[in-house]
Amino acid sequence: MKEDILVYPFSAIVGQQDMKDALLANIIYPSIGGVLIRGEKGTAKSTTVRAAADLLPERNVMKGCIFRCDIDDPRNLCESCREKIATGEKPVLEYSRMRVVELPLCATEDRVAGTLDIEQAITRGIKKFEPGVLAMANGNILYVDEVNLLDDHIVDLLLDAAAMGVNFVEREGISYAHPARFLLVGTMNPEEGDLRPQLLDRFGLVVDVKGEKDNQERSEIVKRRLEFERDPVAFCTSFQAEQQAIRDQIIKAKQIIAELRPDDLLINTAVKISLSLGVDGHRSDITLVKAALAFAALDGRKEVNSSDVIKAAGLSLPHRMRRRPFEESTMDITSVRGIIESCYQGS
Amino acid sequence: MNYQFPFTRITGQEHAKKALLCALVCDEIRNILILGDPGTAKSTLVRSVESLTNEKKVITIPQNITYDRLLGMIDLEKAITSGSIQVHYGILKEGNNQILYADDINLMDEGVIQCILTTSETGQYLLEREGLSQLVSTRFTFIASMDPSEGKLSSGQLDRFDLCIRTDHITDSEMRSEIVRKSLNFETSPDAFILECEKETETLKRSILKAKERLPYVSIPDGHADLISSLCVELGIEGYRGDIAVARTAKALAALDQRDDVMFDDIKLAALLALEHRRGEYKERPPHPPKSEKEESSEQDLGKNRSKEQKNPDAIPEYQQGEKEQKKQEQNHISIPPQERFFDIGSPFEVIRYLDENTWQETQKQKSGRRSRVISSDSSGHYRSFRFPGRYRNDIAIDATIRAAAPHQQIRSSNGLAISVKKSDIREKVREKKIGHTILFLVDASGSMGVQKRMIAVKGAILSLLNDSYQKRDRVGLMIFRGDSADLLLPPTRSPDIAANLLKSIPTGGKTPLAKGITEGYLLLTRGKFAASGENKSIVLLTDGRGNVPLTKNSTREELRDVARKIAGRGVRFVVVDTECGFPRLGRALILARDLDGSYFRLEDLSIHGLAACVNDVLYSYR
Repeated sequence: MKEDILVYPFSAIVGQQDMKDALLANIIYPSIGGVLIRGEKGTAKSTTVRAAADLLPERNVMKGCIFRCDIDDPRNLCESCREKIATGEKPVLEYSRMRVVELPLCATEDRVAGTLDIEQAITRGIKKFEPGVLAMANGNILYVDEVNLLDDHIVDLLLDAAAMGVNFVEREGISYAHPARFLLVGTMNPEEGDLRPQLLDRFGLVVDVKGEKDNQERSEIVKRRLEFERDPVAFCTSFQAEQQAIRDQIIKAKQIIAELRPDDLLINTAVKISLSLGVDGHRSDITLVKAALAFAALDGRKEVNSSDVIKAAGLSLPHRMRRRPFEESTMDITSVRGIIESCYQGS
Repeated sequence: MNYQFPFTRITGQEHAKKALLCALVCDEIRNILILGDPGTAKSTLVRSVESLTNEKKVITIPQNITYDRLLGMIDLEKAITSGSIQVHYGILKEGNNQILYADDINLMDEGVIQCILTTSETGQYLLEREGLSQLVSTRFTFIASMDPSEGKLSSGQLDRFDLCIRTDHITDSEMRSEIVRKSLNFETSPDAFILECEKETETLKRSILKAKERLPYVSIPDGHADLISSLCVELGIEGYRGDIAVARTAKALAALDQRDDVMFDDIKLAALLALEHRRGEYKERPPHPPKSEKEESSEQDLGKNRSKEQKNPDAIPEYQQGEKEQKKQEQNHISIPPQERFFDIGSPFEVIRYLDENTWQETQKQKSGRRSRVISSDSSGHYRSFRFPGRYRNDIAIDATIRAAAPHQQIRSSNGLAISVKKSDIREKVREKKIGHTILFLVDASGSMGVQKRMIAVKGAILSLLNDSYQKRDRVGLMIFRGDSADLLLPPTRSPDIAANLLKSIPTGGKTPLAKGITEGYLLLTRGKFAASGENKSIVLLTDGRGNVPLTKNSTREELRDVARKIAGRGVRFVVVDTECGFPRLGRALILARDLDGSYFRLEDLSIHGLAACVNDVLYSYR
């Protein structure tokens, strides 16, 4: 299905470095908690997210499991997979690539959370759970375009599932729980309304994209786009090497991140920044640390340096600053930079 | 395998921990509410409780639970195979002797909340559904958590909670680092992490068991018992739930401390846990407890009038200051005096600040939740329950239909299917969705008297309503009329940022095309995209009622009356705020309000109570 329609290659996207980095960081370290991309219309938000699908790494999943349970993550297996392992049955595995599962705005509650399997109920008279979008999203990227326009009750569902990584269904006669650990990626145009703060807080990173102002870059964007439309196959082929390079980068970064542990300097710096900004909650600290680790790993390094932290701070903090109504929400990035640099200078 | 974050490793949050321990010790402490900002370990705390008990499990009640799973329903499989009607119990019964947990309870269906709270208090509920009739008894501990900025519970609902705790803001950098370190460690190697604190967990478990055994022998000395009741009286606690909760909690605390006598400190802590939310309205913690330098300075920028207030020892009320200022401005005519900026930005914030005060909350809170949900007429919204179908059967509730058909299967011919459904079995979904208000401020910006003051009040009110609109899903817009046109300055929006920018400059001066303004405002809300939204629509009209530009050649007053009477009662609610001041009073706005069948206020009377509060009061009152 996906193979039929060629997507614009990720590596061919001009500029928008923050958006690309945020996506890659999440791909190698999903527990960063997703990314929200805010920007005006036509700034390659959706294109970038869809393009990322081509780069996603493969993983070991249980064969035949609808939730694509990851065998390397024994904490989050679905009931039947857990049972299988408990009974000592040798798990049959297959390689499966991470996917981008899209949540359309008009999706109904039953399709998102899952519902009673009507066919089974009528033909056999048994209650069976029919999985929904949240089930498909397990271990994958859940992509919501125009996330700020999503219906309230669907947002509540997402929040519920994201909070625990489990989708609890207690409705329409069905009682079921399955793992729903997904990487939440949303795009939105802030002109069309704000996102609920609660949902905003669930996004690990937030990228504000702007249109490229540089003339040369703009014409390059147009040129590439037209080229792609004229002959997508040739265009994609011409970017194959670059695409492969990013895939390799992802694989390598994943290996590094598995070994990488935050040192005290990084943690203390993160805390210092949060305190100086008066950020509520602890998600900001944790995300900042994780994002800094991911950026170091993406760069092929095993040590976090101050520029990783600065970048991570810029993406993980602004949306968490609880602001007064109508106060312009600009984070003083220079003061944050100052804190980071003074922390790292000492070492 | 238990992969919850261990209770003993949670940093800080001592009050919340104590409350949860009390609930484990004393089964009579049934309902606990945890308030807190996002990311302050609310749900981590609750779920970690599981690590402290062997027999109790934490069962999650999802946000969108339907009544059949909450209370119980007919057992489908049994009904089909044997035709007998038996109950398949819902989560309330399944949770017997367990812990039920609901996150974001303020977003849940009011009926569901009521159901859970009543059941946990009485220990039983009446199941009357689908031919089932049964009194079900069940005993569970109910823990709920919520972020108060997302919406509030009514004081009646709050009172049902025995204990209510707010999670602490941890500002100590050592502790914060600790939290980050622990949570990352737990994520990478949960087994080792849990193993590490196993000993501590076991010790705590044992002390809970011991406390449980001791609890029946714990007593409250007479003097202290009086203290509890006098405390409750002093704090103005209504009802006796508070007294009882304090006594129970104090006992549990003493038992945890391995004592048989309740001491003063137990009562002190118990009162903190059990009474805080019962004191009239629970107090909002100011949104910014730790004030950084940056905030301080921005506050000064935005609320200069506050600092002025401090300089002025006799502290003239804000509103009167405005009046004085305005007289000065009137002398300068409409040319914008330098002071304008000062009030333009200052006053709105004064009104907003007022939102935090208790009295405001009282008016706002009782009306919020209930109003914001309506039964949806199309197939959008959350499936709440089912009913016998109306004329059109588009949105069939499959589960309910099958359950209705199930008991008859023994006598019906099956034609190859497991269930044969007859027309009489069909049930339809009742869906519910949250809706808000669309509020349009229609402001007379003509050059008549008091335009500046009017603008200040209006801006303040719009910003306040917008600020509040997030919780209620309201849209607020602004249209002004002056000269010979009506302009939509702010299309109804939910985004406070856009509004705030637009409100900075509002042109004023010129004649008063009142009839045109009303017509345009009405048309905006009843045609085009706002008409179809199904939201409640209201227009807040600020004027002195002295229109002087007619639509046609007729007399302006007659025309206005005709327009108003035509529009009245046709889907849009009107609130008329009379800006007329001084003498002679013509009272035209009052006549207009009658013609429009709307509510009437005088701007002067609103004074410190703020326009927003009054508008809200009218709009959200029960119709």
